[in-house]
Amino acid sequence: MRRKFVLTLLLTAALAVSLSAAFKKGDVRVHTLANGLKILLVEDHNIPNVALYTYFRVGSRNERPGLTGVSHFIEHMMFNGTPKIGPGEFDRRMEFQGGRNNAFTSDDMTGYTDWFPAAALEAMIAMEADRIQGLAFVPEVFESERGVIASERRMAVENNNDAILGENVRATAIMAHPYHWNVIGWMSDIQSWRRDEVMAYYRTYYAPNNAVLIVVGDFDPAPTLNLIRKYYGPIPAYPPPPPVSTVEPPQMGIKSVLVRKAAQAPSFQVVWHAPSAKDPDYLPLSILAKPLLEGESSRLYRRLVREEQLAIRIRGGVQETIDPLLFMIDVKPRPGADLDRIDRVIEEELAKIKAEGITPKEFEKALNIVRSDFYMELQTIAGKAGQLGGAELLYDDFGKLFTVMDDYAAVKIERIKEVALKYFQENNKTIGKLIPEGGAK
Amino acid sequence: MKKLVPTALAFFLIAALAAPATLAAAAQLPAPEKIVLKNGIIVYHLKNSALPIVSFRMVIRGAGSAFEPAEAEGAANLAATLMMKGTAKMDADAVAEAVDFMGASLNISAAEEYLQVSGDSLSEHFPRLMEIAADCLTRPSFKEEEFAKERAKRIDVLKAAKDNPGTAVRYYFQKAYFGGHPLGHLATGMESSLTKMTVQAVKDFYARRLRPNRSIAAVVGDIDKAKLVALLESTVGRWPNPAGAATADAVPALPKPKGRTLLLIDKPDANQAYFMLGAPGYAMGDKITAAASVMNTLFGGRFTSWLNTELRIKRGLTYGANSGVRNWAAGGLFSVSSYTKNDKIGEMLDITLDLLKKGAGQGFAPEEIESSRNYILGQFPPTLETNASKAGAYIRLAFYKLGFGYYDKYLDEVGKTSAENAKAAAARLLPQDDFVLVVVGKAEEIKPLLMKYGTWREKKITDPDF
Repeated sequence: MRRKFVLTLLLTAALAVSLSAAFKKGDVRVHTLANGLKILLVEDHNIPNVALYTYFRVGSRNERPGLTGVSHFIEHMMFNGTPKIGPGEFDRRMEFQGGRNNAFTSDDMTGYTDWFPAAALEAMIAMEADRIQGLAFVPEVFESERGVIASERRMAVENNNDAILGENVRATAIMAHPYHWNVIGWMSDIQSWRRDEVMAYYRTYYAPNNAVLIVVGDFDPAPTLNLIRKYYGPIPAYPPPPPVSTVEPPQMGIKSVLVRKAAQAPSFQVVWHAPSAKDPDYLPLSILAKPLLEGESSRLYRRLVREEQLAIRIRGGVQETIDPLLFMIDVKPRPGADLDRIDRVIEEELAKIKAEGITPKEFEKALNIVRSDFYMELQTIAGKAGQLGGAELLYDDFGKLFTVMDDYAAVKIERIKEVALKYFQENNKTIGKLIPEGGAK
Repeated sequence: MKKLVPTALAFFLIAALAAPATLAAAAQLPAPEKIVLKNGIIVYHLKNSALPIVSFRMVIRGAGSAFEPAEAEGAANLAATLMMKGTAKMDADAVAEAVDFMGASLNISAAEEYLQVSGDSLSEHFPRLMEIAADCLTRPSFKEEEFAKERAKRIDVLKAAKDNPGTAVRYYFQKAYFGGHPLGHLATGMESSLTKMTVQAVKDFYARRLRPNRSIAAVVGDIDKAKLVALLESTVGRWPNPAGAATADAVPALPKPKGRTLLLIDKPDANQAYFMLGAPGYAMGDKITAAASVMNTLFGGRFTSWLNTELRIKRGLTYGANSGVRNWAAGGLFSVSSYTKNDKIGEMLDITLDLLKKGAGQGFAPEEIESSRNYILGQFPPTLETNASKAGAYIRLAFYKLGFGYYDKYLDEVGKTSAENAKAAAARLLPQDDFVLVVVGKAEEIKPLLMKYGTWREKKITDPDF
């Protein structure tokens, strides 16, 4: 799932923010229905449209072997019919009213994102409330959608060398926790999900008490809240889903994984176990990632792309997740480049940060990046809805959105060095290489 | 994710749906203030103080990839990139450091018809961003060393692109469709042209093609007019017009495929086959635009489109199937693309060709037309929500001389588009027998399925260039 990475970056950016005059915590009206549904409402009349986002606390971290990828499959099945609304009708009705939607699944959450003209508000609330009360799972449609997911996996992973390597690296680095697999799931699971198991999974997680509804845009809050009460109020709460109890054990030595495949260019990725988003070490690592990896002025871009010309591009950073995941550096090597040399250059640059930390100017740059990205995101109703939803799901507190810039600024610069020493250790590291075979000239 | 938001080509698909886009566009896109700088640069300005940020966009007509000498394919975009890799005042690292430090973005790149500059920053940093942008634009150093690095990197980027069949099919298609026509120049260049490229060719392109009096800019965000005028005059306003007459800036008429041109690219490790099929579209501002948008939305422009319904929703053959239009001043392109596992590519192409026939022959039902109109109108406002998208719209409207009332007119026409109008657009745009079709996949498995469509020219993915 390419989207996951993007989402993480957005949230990182988003959360590092000072209060904007144009958007304050006080602008968010918060309600919780008796059944546990949390509602965040923000009036914004900049355009005559509404962004209606529903985020569920379910993602691939809630899955188990045999059912990998099922969170994402359900995301697709949410468009394929309920007892009241036939397969495909959700999209047909929505588009007829001038609306458009998308949805995403990550390790930690599943989000449904609707954008539509204000006049469609009641119809959309009604359809969203309907599809959390049961899906039809029509057998033929179930099978057809399985094919769609298989095609998505072939497109996003199997015909994308960097993604194949990424999947191998993740599965090597993470041994026990469900973050072991990608959101898309393993192909053999995709091909064998059973309808009854999928239905049980849906029933466990699609409940008002496991969701947050975020509405941003051109509406009047009081009648809107009444509409939400009307359609969501009668839905019962369900027993809370079981917690994810598996804890990834400490890694006890360097790991590596090699993929050989027809390719024109190699792939290279290196990861270290990293803390969860709520951990006090998260922000220092997030700051560290910026001068290390972001932009052509970053330390690693300069060394790997410009000076030594070992790579075409680099990207990465710390993943912002509920449970501890990874700090990742993903390098696209030049064909023929010495991959071990790439690894050494990365270690040399990390050694400098372990010895000296980052400079005050680099620290200031990180804060500027965070602030700038945040305001860019706030330009749209979709941006505001996404930021609120992400903060609520990851931190159980949308208000995090309005304090995190201060949190970032409050990080002591010495902490960057401390976290570098703590996490960038050999015993904590996994290296992945994809080496071209055959196909190259 | 339910739908992938595609990149590159898809940008234009979105732009085309969008450009053509709500009820009163004027509410989102008020007429801007026009400023003419002393050197001739035309600037459109809209103040928006909602957030402390500013967006800058500029295009330079006649400085896109379509104006490269044929032997210097890739020179325009190479010039664009190298403009940021060192100036009279700053070296490449200094430019990158200054822009990154502000958390700002600054990009220069070549489209087909123009070179484009885009910059976004916090308002407090905007003056500095414009100083840097002007320095890159007006005093690039084009150092041999930076040229050599960038050229070598591009050659490798092109090789790596062949590892991703979804990307590769678009490059192969552009070459197959446009042949020697200037719109066939890949912005990235090709391995063969880059190998022969010299820094002098890049300097020549810059010297001949970039001039202030062919530039249109737009600034939208938290900045006053008076402050902006002073800032622009002291930065990009100091860029002198070169001596001598301007070179041509018109793109010749676009090719019209006759019969079926079929190209198969063998990628032996692919477990999915990717196709792209294209035929003539229409020029920017063409009278058919509103009807074409209504038609394309139904054919392949949204989730419940005919293509996506038949290929994804009903049969589960693919994750995504789309059609889209790209428009230039001289003409346009209509294209369809999707992918499926190797053994289904024949079924996928049969369905696609049947839908093209059905669309042109039967047109669309009145309720489909109503749905499409609603959809285009409802999805228009978000296309003009950000500073950058407003700036982009001002430039697009000025560049193609459409006038700032264009979107209101367009939306009005969308609202009045009838089933007959959409059918006429389908008859004109959905190709029946004359098209270019490119497939990238594992030839051994898919070739037997493709023979019935005609004679295929074949290439291996490892053959040089596209």
